[in-house]
Amino acid sequence: MLQKKICMLGAFAVGKTSLVRRYVESIYSDAYHTTVGVKISKKVVQANNSEVNLVLWDLYGEDDFQKMNWKHLQGAFGYLLVADGTRPATLDKALALEQKARAEVGPLPFVFVVNKCDLVNDWQFDAALEAQLVAKKWTILRSSAKTGESVEEAFSQLTGKMLG
Amino acid sequence: MATPLQSFSREFGYVLLEHKGEGKFVLRSEPPSWFNELWGATQPGEALIPLAEKSPFLENFLVEAQSCWNSPQTAECRSEVWIESTAAGREVPMQTTALRRDGKQLLVLHSPEAQYRDQVQILQTARSAVLEHEKLLREIQKKEILLHCIIHDLSQPLSAMRGSFDCLSAESLSEEGRKFMALGKMATQQQESMIRQIIQVFAADLQATTDAEKGANHAPDLLACARNAITWLSPAFAAKRVNLILDPQIDQQAHWHVQGEESRLGRVFTNLLENALRYSSEGGNVTVGLQTDGEFRKAFVADEGPGLPPDLRPAQMFALFSKGKEGGGKAGFGLYFCRTTVERWGGSITCASLPEIGSRFCFRLPKATVRAEGEAPPDKLLSAVADPRPAVKGRRAMRILFADDQEDIRTLITYQLERSGHHVHAVCNGREALSALLHKHFDVILLDEEMPAMGGVQAAHTIRENEARAGSHAFLIALTGNSAEDDQARLRREGFDAVLGKPFRLEGLAAILDAASSTLPLTSVPKKPAAAIPAGIDDLLGRIGGDKKLLNKMIRTFLRDTPKRIASLQKALQRKDAEEIASLAHALKGSVSIFLAQHARDRAQELEDLGHKSELGGATAVYATLKEEIAKLEENLRGYAKHTQAQPRSTVSKKTQRLTGKRKKQ
Repeated sequence: MLQKKICMLGAFAVGKTSLVRRYVESIYSDAYHTTVGVKISKKVVQANNSEVNLVLWDLYGEDDFQKMNWKHLQGAFGYLLVADGTRPATLDKALALEQKARAEVGPLPFVFVVNKCDLVNDWQFDAALEAQLVAKKWTILRSSAKTGESVEEAFSQLTGKMLG
Repeated sequence: MATPLQSFSREFGYVLLEHKGEGKFVLRSEPPSWFNELWGATQPGEALIPLAEKSPFLENFLVEAQSCWNSPQTAECRSEVWIESTAAGREVPMQTTALRRDGKQLLVLHSPEAQYRDQVQILQTARSAVLEHEKLLREIQKKEILLHCIIHDLSQPLSAMRGSFDCLSAESLSEEGRKFMALGKMATQQQESMIRQIIQVFAADLQATTDAEKGANHAPDLLACARNAITWLSPAFAAKRVNLILDPQIDQQAHWHVQGEESRLGRVFTNLLENALRYSSEGGNVTVGLQTDGEFRKAFVADEGPGLPPDLRPAQMFALFSKGKEGGGKAGFGLYFCRTTVERWGGSITCASLPEIGSRFCFRLPKATVRAEGEAPPDKLLSAVADPRPAVKGRRAMRILFADDQEDIRTLITYQLERSGHHVHAVCNGREALSALLHKHFDVILLDEEMPAMGGVQAAHTIRENEARAGSHAFLIALTGNSAEDDQARLRREGFDAVLGKPFRLEGLAAILDAASSTLPLTSVPKKPAAAIPAGIDDLLGRIGGDKKLLNKMIRTFLRDTPKRIASLQKALQRKDAEEIASLAHALKGSVSIFLAQHARDRAQELEDLGHKSELGGATAVYATLKEEIAKLEENLRGYAKHTQAQPRSTVSKKTQRLTGKRKKQ
C-alpha cells in the first residue's frame, strides 16, 4: 500500500488538530486544546483506484512560544497550509510558512485551507488576497472543522496532487 | 532476571534500546508499562522490535539519529516531544535521545508526562490569553464602529436645528424670545462640538494603524505643528488674556521630524493647549517647548494653573472620559485622544504638577528619518518603481552601473535611480558591464547574480582583480534570488560589498546606496549643478509673452515626458533599432531646444545623425552624455518650477481667489 506523509502547517489555534480529528475520527470539539509536540494520525483512503495510507503529522502551531522544527517536514509528500479566516494575522503567518517551507524542503504540493468559515460574522479573509493567491495557482478552500465543510475535499485534493 | 540498572531505568520511566539496523531494535532494559501499552509486552533480549514501522515519528528521527551514530563528534541528539496513542486511545508524550556507547547505536526512550503536562498548561494559558485579547480587540472595534455610526447619525439633525435658529434670528422676537433662541443656539453649538470630538477620537482609534504608516512616510515637523497650534489658538488665549509662548530655548536648527501624521499631531498640541488654557488665569503663561531626547523628540505644554489633583495618577488623566483636572473638561476625550494617538506612533505621554505652580504635559515621539516629499515610502515594493515621483533632493548623486538581464527590471530600476538623481548606465550582463567599465568610472556597480553570457559573480571577480591593479574600489552590490544568510555570506566572500535579495524593496536599495555614498570619497561624486534658473528661461519667457503659467506647464510636460523618452531611447539602443533611435533623438532634440539647452541639443542631433546613418558604434557613449545633459536641464527646470511656486500668495489676484473660492472664510 502506498504511504504518504502529510504535514499540517499553520499558526496556533487555526484548527489544524480539529481538521485532522474531523477527517480521521469525524469528531469535533469547540474547546481549544493547544498542541505541544507532534501528533501523528493515519487514514487509509482510496485514490486513483488504489489504497493510500495517509500519515498525518499534526505539528504544533508556530508562535512566539514555539518555533517550527522544519526537520518534521522531511519525507513529507505534501502539506495542508491552514489559516483561521477570522484572524488576519494567521493568514500572514500561513503565507510566511509557505515561503519558509519552500525554502526548507523545496516545492511540495499543498492546499491552503482557510478554516472556521462557519463564523460568518467574523470572517475576514480578504477577497483581493484570495484573488492574488488564486492567480499564483494556489488551491484554496474555505473549510470548517466544526461543520465538516470542505474538510474531506481538502485532504482529497491534496492526495490527488501528491499522486500527481 | 533484570539487572539493577534495568530495573532502575524502568522505575524512572526510561527504556534503553540498541539499534540493529533498518529501524529494528533490541531491548537493553526492562521497559516501563507505557512501552508495553504502545508496542506490546516484551522482555530484554535479542528479539528484534521494528520500532520504525510502529512509529512514523521514530522512523523520521532515525535519519537524524543515524548521523549522530555515524559521527564521532556528535555525542548525542535529542528529539522533540511527540505523542503516541495506545490501542485504548490514551495519549503518551514521548521523547528520545540517540547516543553511541562502546560502538553501539543506542536509543533512550522516555515519557516526560509531568514535564509535558506543565508545558501544555503554560502554553494553553498563554495562547488562550492571546486569543482572548484578539477577540476583545475585535469586539472593541465592532463597538467603535457602531458608536461612530450612532454619533454620526445623531449629528445630522443638528444642522436642521442650527438652520432653524438662524431663521428665527431674522424674525422679530421679544427680548425673552431672543434670549431663549441664543440659549438654544449655544447649546446646539456645544453639542455639535462635543459630537465632533467624539467622532475624531473614535475615527482616530479605527484608523490609527494606517495613519501611523502614512505618518511615517510624511514625517511631520514637530516644531511646525507646535507653531501652527499656537497660531490657531492665539485668539482664544488673547481673549482670556493668557500669554501663549513658544519656548525661546528651542533649537530651531534641530531635526524635529517625528513619527506620526501632521493633522493628528496638530490636534494633540491643540488639545493640550486647550486643556492648559482652561486652567490658566488671566495674566498667566502657557509655554510650548521642544527638546531632543536621543532617538525621540519631546514636546511639552506647561501652564501656571492649579496643578494636577493630588489624588489622581497621571495615567488616569489620560483615560477615556477622564475630565482632566477636577472634572473641568468637556467630554473627557481630549487627553484620551492625545494618549492613544502618541502611543500608536510608538511614543508616550505623561503629566506632572510643577514644583511651585502649574502643571506640565509632556509627550515624546520617535524621531523620523526625513525623506523629501514625494520620495518612495519604505513599504512600497519594487512594483512601485514606475510610480512617477519627483526626484529626491539632498542625496549624493552617484554614477551607477547596473547589470540585469531582465529588461523590465532594468528599465524600472534605471528610471527610479535616475529620478533619485543618480546617473545610471544599464547593461544586460556581466560582460557588457566589464566593457562599460573600460570607458567610464562608476561609484556603484549593481550586478544581478544570474545573467547570460557572464553572471554577476564572475564579473565581480574580474572587477576586483582589475581594481587590485589600479588601486581603486567600487561599491559592488549583488542582486540575487538566493537571499538566505548563507548566500549573503557567500556573495560577500565573492567580493560584493552588499547583497540585495530579490524581490527587494526600494528602501532596501536606497539604504544600501546611502551606505555606498558614505564610503565614497567626496571628490569621486559628481556634483550636480545647483538648481539655478537657466539663463535661457528669461529669453523663453519673453518669447511666450511672459506667461509664467504657460512656462510652468511646458516645464511640467518636459519633466513628465522626457524620462519616458530617455527610457525608450535606451531600449532602442539595446535593440539596435537605428530608425527608432533617430526618431526619439529627434523628439528629444525638439524638447531640449525649447529650453535653449544647446549642449543637450547637440548631443541629440549627434545621436539622430548616427541613427539615420545606422552607425551605432558610438551611439551608447553619445546617449550617456545626452542623458547627463538632460539630467542637468531637468534639475534646473525643477529648481525654476520650485522657485516660482514659492512666490508669495499676493501674486495671485484677488479675483482669482474669488473665482476659485480658495480664500479663507472670514
